[in-house]
Amino acid sequence: MKLKDQIRFVRQNMKKNKTRLFMTVLATAMGCSFLIVLASVGFGLQKSIVDKIVGDRLVTAIDIYGIEAHDSIERQLGLSQIEYLRSVDHVKAVTYRNQVRQQLSPSLDGSAVNSQGAVNVDFAAETKAGFALSAGTLPKADDEVVIGYHIRIPPGTKPNEEPPAADEWLGKTINLEVSQTQTDGSERKTTIPVKIVGVAEKPSREWRIDTNIYIGNGLIAKIEDFTQTQWGEQRIVPDKKNPEGYEPPGLQDPRFYNGVQVIADGANRVKGIGEVIRKQGYFIHSIADELEQVNLVFLIMKIGLVFVGTIAVLIASIGIYNTMTMAVTERAQDIGIMKAIGAHPSAIRRIFLLESAMIGILGALIGTVVAYVVSFAVNAGLPLVVQGFMNEKVPEGFRFSWIPAYLAALAALISLAVALLSGSRPARRATRVDVLRALRRDL
Amino acid sequence: MMIELIQVNHQFAIGKKGKERVVPVLHHIDLHVKKGEIVAIVGRSGSGKSTLLNLISGYIRPTSGTIRVAEQDVTGLSEGDWANFRLAHLGFIFQSFQLIPSMTAFENAELPLVLKGIALSERKKRVMELLEQMGVAEYAGHYPGELSGGQQQRVSIARSLMLNPPIVLADEPTGSLDTDNERQLLALIRELNRDLGITFVLITHDDQVAATAHRTVTLKDGYLLNAYGKGAEYSYEA
Repeated sequence: MKLKDQIRFVRQNMKKNKTRLFMTVLATAMGCSFLIVLASVGFGLQKSIVDKIVGDRLVTAIDIYGIEAHDSIERQLGLSQIEYLRSVDHVKAVTYRNQVRQQLSPSLDGSAVNSQGAVNVDFAAETKAGFALSAGTLPKADDEVVIGYHIRIPPGTKPNEEPPAADEWLGKTINLEVSQTQTDGSERKTTIPVKIVGVAEKPSREWRIDTNIYIGNGLIAKIEDFTQTQWGEQRIVPDKKNPEGYEPPGLQDPRFYNGVQVIADGANRVKGIGEVIRKQGYFIHSIADELEQVNLVFLIMKIGLVFVGTIAVLIASIGIYNTMTMAVTERAQDIGIMKAIGAHPSAIRRIFLLESAMIGILGALIGTVVAYVVSFAVNAGLPLVVQGFMNEKVPEGFRFSWIPAYLAALAALISLAVALLSGSRPARRATRVDVLRALRRDL
Repeated sequence: MMIELIQVNHQFAIGKKGKERVVPVLHHIDLHVKKGEIVAIVGRSGSGKSTLLNLISGYIRPTSGTIRVAEQDVTGLSEGDWANFRLAHLGFIFQSFQLIPSMTAFENAELPLVLKGIALSERKKRVMELLEQMGVAEYAGHYPGELSGGQQQRVSIARSLMLNPPIVLADEPTGSLDTDNERQLLALIRELNRDLGITFVLITHDDQVAATAHRTVTLKDGYLLNAYGKGAEYSYEA
């Protein structure tokens, strides 16, 4: 017997008692909806709290604080160590942030730009890591830069005040003034014009101000070529106050990198990569470490909520069991006739299981839609209630209830499984209908 | 042989569990039905006619003995195997037609094809062809409650012939029909037997029906009196 015909049989049967069917589907939908809404509170709270903890940081990122060196910790990493980190399995990219060690006095259209400095990044690695932009693109040429979200912020602006839109500067040219202090103390200067092609994303921490100018390896090479020092650092000529002076590392000296981050190719790889590089003496920290405990607590909470919600679905299953038992009793004669002419018991069982499965699926579909509506209403209404009764403001972006797609799918799966379980006994009973008694109308 | 019963005994247990009483119904039945025969089984009420037919249909199992149908030993078939066997080899005509009331004549007639998993387009063709042959095509969309007894029985016969079974088992096929419909039904049975070579086993009280058969066997108190009765010399089988 084909599935299409089984579905036709089921639909015919379901039409026979629409009220009973409606009530059963309603009970299943309520159970499923309760399960989703209950669990969604766990998901919502977890998401809000985790988002707060994570902030701008990538969950796939591992911060490298340094490496064990004899009795001390070497804070800066050399090129060979960067290369090693790139070679570790499941490492997608290794990024670094090196501050350019002079002011560069950036100006645009003749006016000074309020920048906290320039930062050298590896844009090729940043592309893989997912450098977040609020506008524009990442640089492709050496003379292209990305500016910080708050770069147009005027001095004296209050916290939380929205700065003028940085994306209005896209395509404009900033002049960077590079200086070199020569051995005799005189200064040599050059201006490098660079084009703004991107604006970094707004930092999620409200207190963080980003007025950096992000420059690539090509541009830092140009600066270093002029200064003949690493990261454009200035020489300090010896004088009376400072008789020794300071000679910064030259271009031939070993190079060290700051703000190194290893980006894993998946959040689930972070732990493994962390273990490997820790063994090599690296001091690391990842947001995944921090989240592990939080997620564990929420996982237990969510399991508990899903379990309690499942009880509601189980209660609804009593209705399905009752409906299916009634259906088998009412259709005993029809079953008997079908068996008498050659219906296989498994075909009979499949028809009744399909019917209970359809009740479960209908209930799950309606329940899921209702749950999304309830979730939306809770997220919209509860902040008002909190503010109204407790005079407290709920943090921006805080969600009491969140229904990820897999929660809806899990609830649908539970409803379907419970419906099949409830229908299995009546379906088995249907296969045992006595043909002779059914033909005699003796059931 | 199309149907063979060898030393078949059957008994029912009645009463509560642990205090059952055994009631013997059939005793040492030996029956052989050849291919293309029409055999009528006659006897009084309670003689065991229907039980005998139910054994051949596989609705009940014999207490002892062997049953072979269409050259296959069906005595020990499981319920699932019996279902497949019935669908492939047997057609059924019932006294009270046994049509499903919530299905139209078309849907009732197509049931064996549905159970067999035949495609809808092929089903439509076959069902309309047989309903046409039975003279009830115009009632294809009617529910059994909207049809006369004769029309219902014709739909039921169309259903029984849907998969071209070599054997048709009929339990009091004319029991619910008026004289005119009875005459037409018996003519149809003869025609199907002659044209398609279908083997019929008929259970009846009715002399008219018995007269249609090539051979009549009588059951009395669970014993087969004349297994080779009227027409015992009948030899149709090739």
